[in-house]
Amino acid sequence: MSLAPAPQMPGLPAPAARRRGIGRARLDPASLVWIGAAAILAFLVLAPVLRLTAASFQSADTGGFTVANYLSAYASERRLVALGTSLLYAVAVTAVAIGFAVPIAWAIARTDMPLKGVIRATILGAFITPPYLGAIGWILLAGPNAGWINLAWMRLTGAQAGIVNVYTFGGLVFVTALYAFPYVFVFTTDALDRVSTEMEEAANILGARPLRTIFRITLPLVLPAILGGAIVVFLDTVALFGTPAIIALPARINIATLQLWQFFEFPVRAEEAAAYAVPLIAVTVAMFALQRLILGRKGYVALTGKGGGRQLVQLGALRWAALAFCLLICAFSVFLPFAALAQAAFSKAWGLGFSLGNLTLDNFRYLFAEASNRQTILNTFSYAAGTACLSVGLALIVAYVVSRRLVRGGAILTALCMVPLVIPGIVLAIGFYAVYAPPPLALYGTAAILILGYSTRFLPIAYVNCLAGLRALNPEMEEAVRILGGSQLRAVGSVVVPLLKKGLVGSWLLVFIPATRELSTAIFLVTAKTRVVSTMILDLSENGNFELLAALGFFLLGVTVLIVLAGYRLLGRDFMLRRS
Amino acid sequence: MNVEKVTGSLIAALLLAAIGASGALAQADQDKQLYEAAKKEGQVSWYSGILTQQICDEVGQAFTAKYPGIQVSAIKTTSQVAFQRLLQDLKAGAVQSDVFTSTDIGHLIYLKSKGELVHFVPPAEKGMVKALQNVDPDGDFHTSWVGLAALLYNTKKVSAAEAPKDWPDLTDPKWKDQIAFGSPNYSGMVGVWTVAMEDRYGWDYFKKLNQLDPLIGRSIDDAVTVLNSGEREVAMGNPASALRSAAKGNPIAVNYPTSGTLMVISPSAVIKGSKHPNAAKLFMEFLADKEYSQILAKNLEQPLRADVPPPAGAKSLADIKLFAPTPQQIVKQLPPNKEKWRDTFGM
Repeated sequence: MSLAPAPQMPGLPAPAARRRGIGRARLDPASLVWIGAAAILAFLVLAPVLRLTAASFQSADTGGFTVANYLSAYASERRLVALGTSLLYAVAVTAVAIGFAVPIAWAIARTDMPLKGVIRATILGAFITPPYLGAIGWILLAGPNAGWINLAWMRLTGAQAGIVNVYTFGGLVFVTALYAFPYVFVFTTDALDRVSTEMEEAANILGARPLRTIFRITLPLVLPAILGGAIVVFLDTVALFGTPAIIALPARINIATLQLWQFFEFPVRAEEAAAYAVPLIAVTVAMFALQRLILGRKGYVALTGKGGGRQLVQLGALRWAALAFCLLICAFSVFLPFAALAQAAFSKAWGLGFSLGNLTLDNFRYLFAEASNRQTILNTFSYAAGTACLSVGLALIVAYVVSRRLVRGGAILTALCMVPLVIPGIVLAIGFYAVYAPPPLALYGTAAILILGYSTRFLPIAYVNCLAGLRALNPEMEEAVRILGGSQLRAVGSVVVPLLKKGLVGSWLLVFIPATRELSTAIFLVTAKTRVVSTMILDLSENGNFELLAALGFFLLGVTVLIVLAGYRLLGRDFMLRRS
Repeated sequence: MNVEKVTGSLIAALLLAAIGASGALAQADQDKQLYEAAKKEGQVSWYSGILTQQICDEVGQAFTAKYPGIQVSAIKTTSQVAFQRLLQDLKAGAVQSDVFTSTDIGHLIYLKSKGELVHFVPPAEKGMVKALQNVDPDGDFHTSWVGLAALLYNTKKVSAAEAPKDWPDLTDPKWKDQIAFGSPNYSGMVGVWTVAMEDRYGWDYFKKLNQLDPLIGRSIDDAVTVLNSGEREVAMGNPASALRSAAKGNPIAVNYPTSGTLMVISPSAVIKGSKHPNAAKLFMEFLADKEYSQILAKNLEQPLRADVPPPAGAKSLADIKLFAPTPQQIVKQLPPNKEKWRDTFGM
């Protein structure tokens, strides 16, 4: 990218504009924007969180102050074990997800491995797959008695028992990581795409071996992105409900979100649940502090006003090994479970197995024949789109304010944006109920409460992504605009947004896709008219209506893929590839 | 004298007939008034813990066909989930559902004790099977579904001879790693089953089951899914769901336990403070009426009325040996059973 010539001002800037320096943020329209954003943030994040924290100290009977909730929430050994197991689960999933994602990301962004498009598309498929849908597919594959893998093993080797069991801690971690690793992958490839290969080429010229270059230069450069993705995966796993309900529950593994669910069983002990959820918030703060500690004060600016290019590493024969690894992960994540689900989606009775007489399209037909089903599908996508717009817009504003240090309370704003990620969706939904359902807002049962709930839930993802993008963007270009007389808003509009365009669309998709499959928040906020596909899948899985569930899963996958492809088409090609 | 007696009885008979006719006319008038009022409301919202989403949708459509101008939006979840939602609504003071149906009668008893129910006796209840009427002596909630719990097995893996015939057979060591059932923490029906089993065999029954490493899901219908896949061979589950699944060709069959099939009466009620009280009452009337029972029978469920023939392909209530815990037992024992379950099974 070559530096564009300085923008031609149509005449001298007005004297008033010239007097507005960077420090005088008072009367700047930019400050109005960020005040508005901070207000919305308070509305979305603070109100439910404060209400939850207040409830944790509130006695259920008298409404007065008490610490009894904390005592009873932690008095049970089972609940303490559940908390510990959840943390262990999250750490394990994060490690496995990084192990899956980073090699694939490096192979795609930095090498000449073939079939990159296929791998990317498949990982996208993994990303948009609801994790609980994948979990159901894996039960079909790795159920200890009837899983395809085990049946094949028993037939091949004559063994009496199978080789894998999805109903174990390892199975739970593996299946969760298969649908969480795309987060790390997306963050890492975004960062790798933005970083030119000049420094790696310099290392090569100076004689460093490729492996050394990877570990000393490439990976450290994208470390913020990897950590950002890892933190998202960690916190998402801690708050996960759907996959644990399907695998951990029968596996009898105690997970905190399942324990939380129990607090909302009759008699409802919302106050104790709030007390039980509070340490999870403490975990976020700890995570964030950890991120700061690791990254220290090293500079990570890689996107500057100077030109750069990318050259791919020639792997030679190793590229087939790389491809094999990528394809293996893709098979585990998408091909195998979806084959299992496909067998169900196209059969009249999936217990009957493969047979021509069992094939049917009736399941798909039912999806569209019922008016309520059509409404559900429409709801899912429109709410997801609304959520993505709201949260990315808000996140960009706050991320800009924080990364450019326009105000002093930057750390507080950051913490606010990150807090929702660690509050389990269930608890956040309860908080939203408590604050927004009653009059005067009376949002319960409306689409608005769902969109607001989702936006709050996904704000951290949008924020982390926008922040990572802005961190890599050196402020010198915005300063150039300011020096030449443009306002802060103009700097953002003319320089930051176009440069971050691809990243912003990536952020939008990063919010849209999970929003289409979000379950734990939806489960408390949906009503008959505002039902979404995720709750419909959960209800169908409870009813054992597996054929319809699989058909619905495929439909969701298909439509989301189309929307995403359209998005990538619209954004044009990569502008960093060196043409020579 | 004879003539006077005859005349007297004739007049008495005529008077009675007149009263009866006016009663019927008054009833028809009331029905019409209710319909008009319900039509103004235009819709009714139903939190259902029974049947499946598809069947609930079917019921809703049949209701709209009979009473045009009133839409039904039904949400089917497990009963504990539906109850949670309802309680949250009540707490927020923003009641969302008009009619609530649960498989755990304890829920309705609780709501009644808190004064959250609207008293309404559907006139059509008179036509229901005697045993299903007056499940609440004060008439605040009424039977809407008879759930059954029996023994299910996968026909591809278990022969009819080997299949468990009675409840204690499930604890046979030969079924190690082969049993499936739901959880009382989600399913009302499984909750009632724990009360029934504890009554008959003591809590040891579940401790023995735990030794055999069962697969524990959520809903009572999770067992059907698990059996269909062949992941487990035997289960405790709902015969109607199993028979529907078998009708689609899945390898699943039902054994009605020799010592008695568990019967779970699942009542409905109108919630106080709901937005569409008249439509709700009309819906309750519909649930006690013929069309609803016909839909039940069509789906291999038990009809609630004597004038609707039992389902073809499933046993009728009259042919099955049944037993059921009393509502008092359920209210008293179900909640502590949930804790005991967690202590025994770990979850």
